[in-house]
Amino acid sequence: MDRQAVAGRWQQVREVVPDNQGLVLVLLFVVGNTLVFALGALAGPDLWLAFLVATAIALPMVLLVARIRSLMGGRDLAAGLEYLFGRWPSRAVALGYGVLTWRLSCYVMSDVTNFVQAVALPTTPQFVVASVLALLMLWAAKEGVEVIARFSVVMAKVVLLVLAVTFLLMLSEVDIGEFLPVMYDGPKPVIMGALQLLDFPFLEVIVLFWIFDCFQSKNSPYKVFLPGFLIAAFVLMIVACTSMAVVGARRYGFYYFPVWTAVARINVSTFLTRLEAIIGVTFAIGSFVKMAVCLLAASRCFAYALGFKDYRFLVTPLALGAIPGSQWFLSNVLEMERSATRTHRAGELALQVVLPIVLWLVAELRSRKSKKHVKKGEASGS
Amino acid sequence: MVGLVILAYVAVAAFELYLWAERPWKKVVVYLAFFAAAGTLAALLTLNKYLKVPEPLGALQRWIAKLWQGGGSK
Repeated sequence: MDRQAVAGRWQQVREVVPDNQGLVLVLLFVVGNTLVFALGALAGPDLWLAFLVATAIALPMVLLVARIRSLMGGRDLAAGLEYLFGRWPSRAVALGYGVLTWRLSCYVMSDVTNFVQAVALPTTPQFVVASVLALLMLWAAKEGVEVIARFSVVMAKVVLLVLAVTFLLMLSEVDIGEFLPVMYDGPKPVIMGALQLLDFPFLEVIVLFWIFDCFQSKNSPYKVFLPGFLIAAFVLMIVACTSMAVVGARRYGFYYFPVWTAVARINVSTFLTRLEAIIGVTFAIGSFVKMAVCLLAASRCFAYALGFKDYRFLVTPLALGAIPGSQWFLSNVLEMERSATRTHRAGELALQVVLPIVLWLVAELRSRKSKKHVKKGEASGS
Repeated sequence: MVGLVILAYVAVAAFELYLWAERPWKKVVVYLAFFAAAGTLAALLTLNKYLKVPEPLGALQRWIAKLWQGGGSK
């Protein structure tokens, strides 16, 4: 097949992701690069409660995203957006989310480069690792969401297996007393921990709204977003709580990478030791998927905002822009840790909470209006 | 060093444009604009490692932080 035919095929094909693959993609996106950080550290011993509260708060937002996609019917993303919100408002919204998703890809890239420099390659310049990552995510994003979803299905097995084995091995080091007393300092630490978790990674799910072009059926968004998010939240809760119980509630927040430290303590008869590298593998896989998804979403958003059907031509400049971007937003490991454990940020709050609610309300109103028009037309026709 | 960075970005852009089967002018303009932005950011960061990140919603952020410090009582 010549290049012209390939380019034409890319522009015409509607990318449909099967529900099960979409679910795994959501799971791997949420777990992504978050595994190694001190998630919800402000909650202290009540970390599990913070997880439950954050999941309960994020769930309506996830449902809301699924609902908006469901209201689009069988349309692809561009047609669905124009059907619900009109052309120019949709483009303005896409521009905002383009900036958000590109910035998120820079953050994830920075997380990986800082992590690699901190634990493995201290003298290697960060831009070297960033350049390799940019090439990888560029490749994945150019292949499209279907390929990323299929890759996720294969890699999720590795990630979940590694996490399950690590969890079982960590059980010998766990001290259940670290979870007690429950809510000794009242509800404030729980709320603060939940806010940390909402900021990173739970409300980042909004990015996924932009990567799926078409779904299999009208109910597919629910089947993809809801179980994917819930399983990811459960996995993160188990890993974070186990790590906290191993390193201690007080020290959990002091480490940059508490999971790494917790896994390093595994010692099976002095035979199985130094297993933290396998956590690095899961981190690398998750980060790669998350970066690719963010880059894909950014390319889609910018292409749609500027009136192009094909988004692939924007992937390269955005990926190469993420290399300096990753050094610009977070220049060192301290800033990276702060960004992963902050409780709120105005810009993100607006794009992850306020705008989706407004979009949902508009989508419901317009969808009902158009349904009424259809019914009126049918009644007058008969 | 700045020259080298810019040269690298120009080379990648030129190579990818060469590989395109068709070059509609609108796409080319947008592509070059994005590449120019990426290259400029890379060059600026080479000159100043601690380049400030613009905060368009910084005032709102500070206001929320102020409210939060007062425990919501203000």
